[in-house]
Amino acid sequence: MSPPPSERAEADALLTDLYLDALLAARERHATDAPTAAALDPAIRAVAARLAADLDRVHPSFRFEERLAARLAEAAARLRLAMAAGAEASTARRGGTDPARSPDDPADEIGSWPVDADPTGDAEVHGRGRPLLIGGALTSAAISIAGAAAYVAWRRARPLTPLARAVRGVGQGRLAHEPGSPPERLD
Amino acid sequence: MSADQEPGRSRVAYLDRDRALVEAARRDLSAFEPLYRRYLAQVYSYAYYELGDHHDAEDATERTFLLALTNLGRFEERAQPADGEGASTFRVWLFRIARNVVANQRRAHRRRPEVPLEAAAVVHDPLDVEGDAAARADAATAWAAVGRLPGDRRRAVVLRFVEEMSTAEIAGVLGRSEGAVRVLIPRALRSVARDLGGRER
Repeated sequence: MSPPPSERAEADALLTDLYLDALLAARERHATDAPTAAALDPAIRAVAARLAADLDRVHPSFRFEERLAARLAEAAARLRLAMAAGAEASTARRGGTDPARSPDDPADEIGSWPVDADPTGDAEVHGRGRPLLIGGALTSAAISIAGAAAYVAWRRARPLTPLARAVRGVGQGRLAHEPGSPPERLD
Repeated sequence: MSADQEPGRSRVAYLDRDRALVEAARRDLSAFEPLYRRYLAQVYSYAYYELGDHHDAEDATERTFLLALTNLGRFEERAQPADGEGASTFRVWLFRIARNVVANQRRAHRRRPEVPLEAAAVVHDPLDVEGDAAARADAATAWAAVGRLPGDRRRAVVLRFVEEMSTAEIAGVLGRSEGAVRVLIPRALRSVARDLGGRER
Protein backbone atom coordinates (compact mmCIF):
# COMPACT_ATOMS: atom_id res chain seq x y z
CA MET A 1 0.00 0.00 0.00
CA SER A 2 1.43 3.36 -0.99
CA PRO A 3 1.30 6.37 1.36
CA PRO A 4 -1.17 9.23 0.70
CA PRO A 5 0.09 11.87 -1.79
CA SER A 6 0.61 14.56 0.87
CA GLU A 7 2.83 12.28 2.93
CA ARG A 8 4.71 11.21 -0.14
CA ALA A 9 5.31 14.84 -1.12
CA GLU A 10 6.58 15.59 2.38
CA ALA A 11 8.88 12.59 2.36
CA ASP A 12 10.12 13.57 -1.12
CA ALA A 13 10.77 17.11 0.07
CA LEU A 14 12.72 15.94 3.09
CA LEU A 15 14.73 13.50 1.02
CA THR A 16 15.53 16.18 -1.57
CA ASP A 17 16.59 18.54 1.19
CA LEU A 18 19.01 15.98 2.65
CA TYR A 19 20.31 15.12 -0.79
CA LEU A 20 20.96 18.78 -1.62
CA ASP A 21 22.78 19.27 1.70
CA ALA A 22 25.08 16.37 0.81
CA LEU A 23 25.48 17.49 -2.81
CA LEU A 24 26.41 21.07 -1.93
CA ALA A 25 28.75 19.94 0.83
CA ALA A 26 30.48 17.68 -1.72
CA ARG A 27 30.80 20.62 -4.11
CA GLU A 28 32.40 22.71 -1.38
CA ARG A 29 34.94 19.96 -0.74
CA HIS A 30 35.53 19.68 -4.50
CA ALA A 31 34.62 16.03 -4.16
CA THR A 32 34.11 14.26 -7.47
CA ASP A 33 31.73 11.57 -6.25
CA ALA A 34 28.09 12.62 -6.05
CA PRO A 35 26.13 11.49 -3.00
CA THR A 36 23.77 8.60 -3.57
CA ALA A 37 20.07 8.63 -2.82
CA ALA A 38 18.46 5.73 -4.57
CA ALA A 39 15.03 6.58 -3.18
CA LEU A 40 15.07 10.00 -4.79
CA ASP A 41 13.48 10.65 -8.18
CA PRO A 42 16.34 10.28 -10.74
CA ALA A 43 15.10 13.37 -12.63
CA ILE A 44 15.56 15.47 -9.49
CA ARG A 45 18.96 13.96 -8.83
CA ALA A 46 20.13 14.69 -12.36
CA VAL A 47 18.90 18.28 -12.47
CA ALA A 48 20.23 18.99 -8.97
CA ALA A 49 23.68 17.71 -9.96
CA ARG A 50 23.58 19.84 -13.09
CA LEU A 51 22.57 23.01 -11.26
CA ALA A 52 25.17 22.39 -8.56
CA ALA A 53 27.80 22.19 -11.30
CA ASP A 54 26.54 25.10 -13.40
CA LEU A 55 25.36 27.73 -10.95
CA ASP A 56 28.55 29.22 -9.58
CA ARG A 57 28.81 32.29 -7.44
CA VAL A 58 29.60 35.39 -9.49
CA HIS A 59 32.01 38.01 -8.15
CA PRO A 60 31.75 41.72 -8.82
CA SER A 61 34.70 43.62 -10.22
CA PHE A 62 37.38 44.85 -7.83
CA ARG A 63 36.73 48.38 -9.07
CA PHE A 64 33.07 48.15 -8.14
CA GLU A 65 33.90 46.65 -4.76
CA GLU A 66 36.25 49.50 -3.86
CA ARG A 67 33.96 52.19 -5.22
CA LEU A 68 31.04 50.92 -3.15
CA ALA A 69 33.26 50.58 -0.07
CA ALA A 70 34.17 54.26 -0.43
CA ARG A 71 30.54 55.20 -0.94
CA LEU A 72 29.49 53.32 2.18
CA ALA A 73 32.26 54.97 4.20
CA GLU A 74 31.02 58.36 2.99
CA ALA A 75 27.43 57.52 3.88
CA ALA A 76 28.53 56.30 7.32
CA ALA A 77 30.43 59.54 7.92
CA ARG A 78 27.39 61.61 6.90
CA LEU A 79 25.16 59.59 9.21
CA ARG A 80 27.59 60.09 12.08
CA LEU A 81 27.66 63.83 11.42
CA ALA A 82 23.90 63.99 11.34
CA MET A 83 23.73 62.13 14.65
CA ALA A 84 26.37 64.37 16.17
CA ALA A 85 24.38 67.40 15.01
CA GLY A 86 21.68 66.26 17.38
CA ALA A 87 19.28 64.60 15.02
CA GLU A 88 16.64 63.09 17.23
CA ALA A 89 15.32 60.56 14.80
CA SER A 90 16.88 57.16 15.10
CA THR A 91 17.98 55.24 12.04
CA ALA A 92 14.99 53.01 12.67
CA ARG A 93 12.54 55.80 11.94
CA ARG A 94 11.83 56.82 8.43
CA GLY A 95 9.05 58.71 6.80
CA GLY A 96 6.76 56.88 4.43
CA THR A 97 6.79 53.53 6.16
CA ASP A 98 3.57 51.82 7.02
CA PRO A 99 3.14 52.06 10.81
CA ALA A 100 0.73 49.14 10.73
CA ARG A 101 3.53 46.85 9.70
CA SER A 102 5.26 44.79 12.28
CA PRO A 103 8.09 46.89 13.67
CA ASP A 104 10.19 43.79 14.24
CA ASP A 105 10.28 42.96 10.56
CA PRO A 106 12.64 45.60 9.27
CA ALA A 107 13.26 44.17 5.87
CA ASP A 108 9.55 44.20 5.09
CA GLU A 109 9.34 47.85 5.96
CA ILE A 110 12.36 48.61 3.87
CA GLY A 111 10.71 46.68 1.10
CA SER A 112 7.62 48.84 1.37
CA TRP A 113 9.52 51.86 0.18
CA PRO A 114 8.59 53.04 -3.26
CA VAL A 115 10.64 51.84 -6.18
CA ASP A 116 11.85 55.31 -6.93
CA ALA A 117 12.98 55.98 -3.38
CA ASP A 118 16.43 57.46 -3.32
CA PRO A 119 18.67 54.49 -3.99
CA THR A 120 21.73 56.19 -2.64
CA GLY A 121 20.36 56.48 0.87
CA ASP A 122 21.07 60.19 0.78
CA ALA A 123 17.44 60.89 1.47
CA GLU A 124 17.81 59.02 4.72
CA VAL A 125 20.81 61.08 5.72
CA HIS A 126 19.13 64.35 4.85
CA GLY A 127 15.76 63.34 6.20
CA ARG A 128 17.23 62.58 9.56
CA GLY A 129 19.16 65.82 9.70
CA ARG A 130 16.26 68.19 10.16
CA PRO A 131 18.66 71.16 10.66
CA LEU A 132 19.95 70.50 7.16
CA LEU A 133 16.45 70.84 5.78
CA ILE A 134 15.89 74.09 7.68
CA GLY A 135 19.29 75.30 6.53
CA GLY A 136 18.28 74.41 3.00
CA ALA A 137 15.04 76.39 3.31
CA LEU A 138 16.90 79.40 4.70
CA THR A 139 19.41 79.19 1.91
CA SER A 140 16.61 79.11 -0.66
CA ALA A 141 14.97 82.13 0.95
CA ALA A 142 18.27 84.00 1.03
CA ILE A 143 18.82 83.23 -2.64
CA SER A 144 15.33 84.57 -3.44
CA ILE A 145 15.89 87.81 -1.52
CA ALA A 146 19.32 88.33 -3.05
CA GLY A 147 17.84 87.65 -6.49
CA ALA A 148 15.06 90.21 -6.00
CA ALA A 149 17.55 92.83 -4.75
CA ALA A 150 19.83 92.24 -7.75
CA TYR A 151 16.86 92.57 -10.13
CA VAL A 152 15.78 95.90 -8.58
CA ALA A 153 19.37 97.23 -8.73
CA TRP A 154 19.63 96.18 -12.37
CA ARG A 155 16.33 97.85 -13.23
CA ARG A 156 17.46 101.05 -11.54
CA ALA A 157 20.84 101.12 -13.25
CA ARG A 158 19.45 100.32 -16.71
CA PRO A 159 19.38 103.27 -19.18
CA LEU A 160 15.76 104.33 -19.55
CA THR A 161 13.81 104.69 -22.77
CA PRO A 162 12.21 108.11 -23.37
CA LEU A 163 8.80 106.69 -22.42
CA ALA A 164 10.14 105.14 -19.21
CA ARG A 165 11.87 108.42 -18.31
CA ALA A 166 8.56 110.21 -18.81
CA VAL A 167 6.70 107.71 -16.63
CA ARG A 168 9.33 107.96 -13.90
CA GLY A 169 9.21 111.74 -14.13
CA VAL A 170 5.42 111.71 -13.72
CA GLY A 171 5.77 109.42 -10.74
CA GLN A 172 8.41 111.59 -9.11
CA GLY A 173 6.34 114.66 -9.91
CA ARG A 174 3.36 113.10 -8.19
CA LEU A 175 5.38 112.31 -5.13
CA ALA A 176 6.80 115.87 -5.00
CA HIS A 177 3.49 117.46 -5.85
CA GLU A 178 1.58 119.12 -3.05
CA PRO A 179 -2.05 118.09 -2.91
CA GLY A 180 -4.25 120.84 -4.35
CA SER A 181 -1.52 122.65 -6.36
CA PRO A 182 -1.48 122.41 -10.20
CA PRO A 183 0.79 119.88 -11.81
CA GLU A 184 4.09 121.01 -13.28
CA ARG A 185 4.42 121.03 -16.98
CA LEU A 186 6.72 118.54 -18.58
CA ASP A 187 8.93 119.89 -21.35
CA MET B 1 27.81 20.33 21.80
CA SER B 2 24.67 22.42 21.52
CA ALA B 3 24.52 25.99 22.70
CA ASP B 4 22.09 24.97 25.43
CA GLN B 5 24.70 22.76 26.99
CA GLU B 6 27.37 25.38 27.04
CA PRO B 7 27.28 27.17 30.37
CA GLY B 8 28.07 30.85 30.70
CA ARG B 9 27.76 31.55 27.01
CA SER B 10 24.95 33.36 25.30
CA ARG B 11 23.01 31.11 22.97
CA VAL B 12 22.40 33.92 20.54
CA ALA B 13 26.10 34.78 20.40
CA TYR B 14 26.85 31.16 19.65
CA LEU B 15 24.26 30.93 16.94
CA ASP B 16 24.65 34.25 15.16
CA ARG B 17 28.11 34.42 13.75
CA ASP B 18 27.80 38.07 12.75
CA ARG B 19 26.83 39.34 16.15
CA ALA B 20 30.20 40.90 17.03
CA LEU B 21 30.47 42.63 13.65
CA VAL B 22 26.92 43.92 13.79
CA GLU B 23 27.38 45.30 17.30
CA ALA B 24 30.62 47.01 16.31
CA ALA B 25 28.89 48.58 13.30
CA ARG B 26 26.04 49.76 15.47
CA ARG B 27 28.46 51.48 17.84
CA ASP B 28 30.36 53.06 14.98
CA LEU B 29 28.97 52.95 11.45
CA SER B 30 32.44 53.10 9.95
CA ALA B 31 32.85 49.55 11.26
CA PHE B 32 30.24 48.35 8.75
CA GLU B 33 32.94 47.51 6.23
CA PRO B 34 33.77 43.96 7.42
CA LEU B 35 30.08 43.03 7.06
CA TYR B 36 30.09 44.54 3.59
CA ARG B 37 33.21 42.62 2.56
CA ARG B 38 31.83 39.37 3.95
CA TYR B 39 28.55 39.54 2.05
CA LEU B 40 29.34 41.58 -1.05
CA ALA B 41 29.89 38.65 -3.41
CA GLN B 42 26.83 36.83 -2.09
CA VAL B 43 24.49 39.78 -2.51
CA TYR B 44 25.96 40.65 -5.89
CA SER B 45 25.69 37.06 -7.06
CA TYR B 46 22.06 36.82 -6.01
CA ALA B 47 21.27 40.11 -7.76
CA TYR B 48 23.11 38.99 -10.86
CA TYR B 49 21.29 35.68 -11.13
CA GLU B 50 17.98 37.45 -10.57
CA LEU B 51 18.56 40.38 -12.92
CA GLY B 52 20.86 38.86 -15.51
CA ASP B 53 22.92 41.98 -16.07
CA HIS B 54 26.11 43.15 -14.38
CA HIS B 55 25.13 46.81 -14.27
CA ASP B 56 21.71 46.08 -12.81
CA ALA B 57 23.32 43.74 -10.29
CA GLU B 58 25.74 46.48 -9.26
CA ASP B 59 22.89 48.94 -8.80
CA ALA B 60 20.92 46.46 -6.71
CA THR B 61 23.96 45.57 -4.63
CA GLU B 62 24.77 49.20 -3.95
CA ARG B 63 21.21 49.95 -2.97
CA THR B 64 21.00 46.90 -0.73
CA PHE B 65 24.12 47.79 1.25
CA LEU B 66 23.20 51.46 1.58
CA LEU B 67 19.79 50.47 2.89
CA ALA B 68 21.36 47.99 5.29
CA LEU B 69 23.79 50.63 6.56
CA THR B 70 21.18 53.33 7.07
CA ASN B 71 18.73 50.90 8.65
CA LEU B 72 21.07 48.90 10.81
CA GLY B 73 19.22 50.19 13.86
CA ARG B 74 16.19 48.16 12.78
CA PHE B 75 17.99 44.85 12.62
CA GLU B 76 17.19 42.36 15.35
CA GLU B 77 18.95 39.10 15.89
CA ARG B 78 16.54 36.24 15.74
CA ALA B 79 18.71 33.15 15.72
CA GLN B 80 16.97 30.01 16.86
CA PRO B 81 18.63 26.80 17.99
CA ALA B 82 17.06 25.11 14.98
CA ASP B 83 19.03 27.42 12.67
CA GLY B 84 22.15 25.51 13.56
CA GLU B 85 25.71 26.49 14.20
CA GLY B 86 27.04 29.35 12.12
CA ALA B 87 23.63 30.69 11.17
CA SER B 88 23.38 34.40 10.64
CA THR B 89 20.15 36.26 11.01
CA PHE B 90 22.03 39.29 9.69
CA ARG B 91 22.58 37.46 6.41
CA VAL B 92 18.89 36.59 6.26
CA TRP B 93 17.96 40.23 7.00
CA LEU B 94 20.39 41.47 4.36
CA PHE B 95 19.00 39.06 1.78
CA ARG B 96 15.46 40.13 2.60
CA ILE B 97 16.51 43.65 1.69
CA ALA B 98 18.24 42.34 -1.43
CA ARG B 99 15.15 40.35 -2.38
CA ASN B 100 12.97 43.47 -2.10
CA VAL B 101 15.43 45.68 -3.95
CA VAL B 102 15.81 43.13 -6.75
CA ALA B 103 12.05 42.57 -6.97
CA ASN B 104 11.50 46.32 -7.29
CA GLN B 105 14.19 46.54 -9.92
CA ARG B 106 12.73 43.64 -11.89
CA ARG B 107 9.33 45.29 -11.78
CA ALA B 108 10.85 48.57 -12.91
CA HIS B 109 12.75 47.01 -15.79
CA ARG B 110 10.16 44.40 -16.71
CA ARG B 111 13.10 42.29 -17.74
CA ARG B 112 13.51 38.62 -17.17
CA PRO B 113 16.90 36.96 -17.06
CA GLU B 114 16.46 34.88 -20.18
CA VAL B 115 20.01 35.22 -21.42
CA PRO B 116 22.02 36.26 -18.44
CA LEU B 117 24.93 34.05 -18.69
CA GLU B 118 28.03 35.99 -18.76
CA ALA B 119 27.91 34.16 -15.44
CA ALA B 120 28.56 31.00 -17.35
CA ALA B 121 31.77 32.59 -18.47
CA VAL B 122 33.40 30.94 -15.51
CA VAL B 123 36.41 29.32 -17.13
CA HIS B 124 36.60 25.70 -16.11
CA ASP B 125 39.77 24.92 -18.02
CA PRO B 126 41.50 27.75 -19.90
CA LEU B 127 43.16 25.29 -22.29
CA ASP B 128 39.98 23.48 -23.19
CA VAL B 129 38.28 26.09 -25.35
CA GLU B 130 35.74 23.73 -26.88
CA GLY B 131 34.93 22.14 -23.57
CA ASP B 132 34.59 25.56 -22.03
CA ALA B 133 32.23 26.73 -24.76
CA ALA B 134 30.13 23.61 -24.24
CA ALA B 135 30.12 24.18 -20.49
CA ARG B 136 28.99 27.75 -21.03
CA ALA B 137 26.21 26.65 -23.32
CA ASP B 138 25.10 24.03 -20.77
CA ALA B 139 25.15 26.57 -17.98
CA ALA B 140 23.23 29.07 -20.10
CA THR B 141 20.57 26.48 -20.87
CA ALA B 142 20.28 25.44 -17.23
CA TRP B 143 20.10 29.00 -16.03
CA ALA B 144 17.54 29.97 -18.65
CA ALA B 145 15.34 27.14 -17.36
CA VAL B 146 15.74 28.41 -13.78
CA GLY B 147 15.00 31.93 -14.99
CA ARG B 148 11.64 30.75 -16.35
CA LEU B 149 10.50 29.54 -12.94
CA PRO B 150 7.92 31.66 -11.12
CA GLY B 151 9.14 34.08 -8.40
CA ASP B 152 9.70 32.20 -5.15
CA ARG B 153 10.64 28.94 -6.84
CA ARG B 154 13.34 30.73 -8.79
CA ARG B 155 14.58 32.61 -5.72
CA ALA B 156 14.64 29.43 -3.66
CA VAL B 157 16.75 27.65 -6.28
CA VAL B 158 19.21 30.54 -6.50
CA LEU B 159 19.50 30.82 -2.73
CA ARG B 160 19.96 27.06 -2.37
CA PHE B 161 22.41 26.43 -5.20
CA VAL B 162 24.30 29.71 -5.54
CA GLU B 163 24.25 31.00 -1.98
CA GLU B 164 24.16 27.52 -0.43
CA MET B 165 21.60 28.61 2.13
CA SER B 166 19.82 26.13 4.36
CA THR B 167 16.09 25.62 4.05
CA ALA B 168 15.62 27.58 7.30
CA GLU B 169 17.57 30.55 5.95
CA ILE B 170 15.67 30.52 2.65
CA ALA B 171 12.42 30.42 4.60
CA GLY B 172 13.62 33.52 6.49
CA VAL B 173 14.51 35.36 3.29
CA LEU B 174 11.29 34.50 1.49
CA GLY B 175 9.08 34.95 4.54
CA ARG B 176 7.66 31.45 4.24
CA SER B 177 7.63 28.45 6.53
CA GLU B 178 10.46 25.97 6.38
CA GLY B 179 8.04 23.23 5.34
CA ALA B 180 6.76 25.36 2.46
CA VAL B 181 10.29 25.98 1.20
CA ARG B 182 11.15 22.30 1.52
CA VAL B 183 8.23 21.46 -0.77
CA LEU B 184 8.96 24.37 -3.12
CA ILE B 185 12.44 23.20 -4.08
CA PRO B 186 11.63 19.69 -5.42
CA ARG B 187 8.75 21.24 -7.37
CA ALA B 188 11.13 23.79 -8.83
CA LEU B 189 13.64 21.08 -9.70
CA ARG B 190 10.95 18.98 -11.42
CA SER B 191 9.90 22.02 -13.47
CA VAL B 192 13.51 22.65 -14.50
CA ALA B 193 13.98 18.96 -15.36
CA ARG B 194 10.84 18.99 -17.52
CA ASP B 195 11.90 22.25 -19.17
CA LEU B 196 15.42 21.00 -19.91
CA GLY B 197 14.13 17.63 -21.08
CA GLY B 198 11.64 19.30 -23.43
CA ARG B 199 14.16 21.72 -24.90
CA GLU B 200 17.07 19.34 -25.24
CA ARG B 201 15.05 16.53 -26.75
